[in-house]
Amino acid sequence: MVATSHDVMPDIELYQPTDEANALALAGTLGRDGWLLGGGQDTFGWLKDRNKTPAAMIELTQIDAWKGIKEIADGIEIGAVTTLTEIANNPLVQSRYGLLAQAAGHVASPQIRNVGTLGGNLVQDARCWYYRRGLDCYRAGGNICYADSPQGLNREHAIFGASRCVAVSPSDTAPALVALEATMVVQSESGQRLIPAQDFFVGPARDIVNMTVLNAGEILTAIRIPNTWANAEFYFEKVADRNVWDFALVSVAAVMKVSGGVIEDARIACGAVECVPRRLEAVENALRGQQRSEQLANQAAAIASEGARPLNYNHFKVPLMENLVKRAVRGQA
Amino acid sequence: MGEIVRYKRDVWGEDVILGVSWDLLWVVAVAVLILLAAHAIVMAALANKKMDIPSAEGRRVLRHESIDRLFHWVMAASIFALIITGIAPILGWGWAWLDMHWIAGLLLTFVVIFHIIRSLFWQDFKSMILGPRDFGEPFDSAKKPGKYSFEQKGMHWAVTIVVLAVVVTGILLFMQIDTPFWDRTNSMAESQLGLMFLLHGLATLALIALVATHIYFALRPEKMFYTRSMLTGWISEDEMSANHDPSRWSPKEAD
Repeated sequence: MVATSHDVMPDIELYQPTDEANALALAGTLGRDGWLLGGGQDTFGWLKDRNKTPAAMIELTQIDAWKGIKEIADGIEIGAVTTLTEIANNPLVQSRYGLLAQAAGHVASPQIRNVGTLGGNLVQDARCWYYRRGLDCYRAGGNICYADSPQGLNREHAIFGASRCVAVSPSDTAPALVALEATMVVQSESGQRLIPAQDFFVGPARDIVNMTVLNAGEILTAIRIPNTWANAEFYFEKVADRNVWDFALVSVAAVMKVSGGVIEDARIACGAVECVPRRLEAVENALRGQQRSEQLANQAAAIASEGARPLNYNHFKVPLMENLVKRAVRGQA
Repeated sequence: MGEIVRYKRDVWGEDVILGVSWDLLWVVAVAVLILLAAHAIVMAALANKKMDIPSAEGRRVLRHESIDRLFHWVMAASIFALIITGIAPILGWGWAWLDMHWIAGLLLTFVVIFHIIRSLFWQDFKSMILGPRDFGEPFDSAKKPGKYSFEQKGMHWAVTIVVLAVVVTGILLFMQIDTPFWDRTNSMAESQLGLMFLLHGLATLALIALVATHIYFALRPEKMFYTRSMLTGWISEDEMSANHDPSRWSPKEAD
C-alpha cells in the first residue's frame, strides 16, 4: 500500500531488555515480528508511514555489553549500539582506524550521529524512494522495480550488480569496514557467528528482500577490526547532494600500505554503487607493488568502473566513481 | 493460509495479482503424499493377487531409442534444476538462483522444441494419441495397450500441457531480466507480470505433483522395467507380451 505519513507511531509493543540474554531470547521468540531498534533513524520512518508493521520492537540501546569501544587481542571491538558520534570522536579509532572515524563522521547530520548507532548504520534498509514509499516493488515482495522502469527516477541507484532490484547500500560505514577487513559478530539464542564484513552484505541476486545475511532471531552485536590495517594510509570521501544529512551518491574507502612511494598492499571499497559495498579487488591487484603515480591512478580509475551498467539517470556515477578512486590512489583530493 | 492468489494494492489503489500463494506448495505436497501413499497401500493389499512380474530374460525388444532416452534425462535434469532453483528461495534458502534458473529453463525449452519436432516427424506420434479405446483400458484387463498405456499417455499429455505453460510463461518472465542476450526493459505492465507469475507458479505446482507421481510409478516394482528401458532402451519379450498388445505395437529387436 502507498505510504500515508502519520505524525505518531503505531500502537506497538516495546521491549527494552537490559542484558544480552533477554535481548537474544526476545529476538528468538519474536523472529521477524520483533523489529530490532538501535538509534531508530531507519525505524521511525518505516513505522510512521505504516510501511512496516512489526508486532513489537526490541530496543537494544540499553544493553551496556553492546556499547563502547574496547581493545582486544587483535585490534578493537566496537559494540553495535555505540553511537556514530562516539566512534567518530574516539581517540583510539581516530588514531588507528581513522578511516572509520571519518566515515562515521560523514553519516547524515550531527543530531542523527548522536543517536544513530554503528549497527543501525550497517543494517539499515535500502533507501530507494519507491521502496521506502511503500510501493509493491521486488524488494517489497512484488514483481517490478519501479526505479528501473522506463519512467523510473534512478539517479541514486546502482550501476553494478543489479538483479531485478537496483537499490544501493546506503551505509557510509560499511565500505570503511569492508576495507578494514572487519568482522561482524552476530549472536542468537543458538550461538555466535563471525562474518567477514564483505560477506555480511547481500545483493538482490541472492536475497532480494534483505540487505544482510542476518536471519530472524539474530542480532549484530559487535564489530571487530583487526590490527591488519591499523595506522595504514586511509582515504575516505563521500559525495552527496548536500554535505550534511544526505546519503552518498558515491563514496570510497581505501586503506593502503605505502613505503617509499610504492603501494605494498591496498583494500578499496565503494559505497552507493551496488546493493552491497563494492570491493574493488581488480583495482587492489593493479595497485599492489606499484609506484604511486598519476598514471597508476588513471589506470585504477578505469579498472574500477569496468562492467558498470548505469541506469537512465545515473551515468554520472561512473566518472564520479572513477574520480574518487583516482583521488584515493593519489591519497589526496 | 487458504488463499490461492497473492494480491497487493498498486500505486493507483487497484489490487493487482502478485502470483500464486506459496502456501499451496504445502497443500500440493501433502495431497500428493496422501494419494501416493494410498495407492501404495492398495497395491500392497492386492499384491498377492496381481503381482505377477514377467521375466526380464530372453529376447529383447527396443522400447526407446538412445536419442529419446537422452532427451528424457536431459529434460528430467532441467526440470529438477528448475524446481530446486525456483522453490529453494521461496523456502528461505538464499542463494543466487536466478541465473541457474533461466539457464535450466533455456535447456528445457530447447529439449522440448527438439522433442516436438522429433515426435512429429521421426517418431510414431499416433502411438501417443489418446483415443476412446484408451479410456476403457483401465477397466478391462483383457484390453492391452499399444506402445503406451492409458496412464502413460495421460501422464505424457499432462506433463506436456504443464511444461508448455511453464516454458511459455517462463520465457515471458525471462525477457524481463538481464541476460547475455538482452538488457532488461522492465516494460511489462504490473498486472500482466502478475498474471505471468501466477500462471508460472500454478504450472510449477502442477509440475511438482506430476514429477512426484512420475517418480513414484517409475520406482514401483511392477513398472520398474519401464524405468530400466529408459536407461537401457529395451524390455524383454515377456514384459512386452504381459503388458502390451503385439497387434498394436510391433517393436524391432533390441541390439
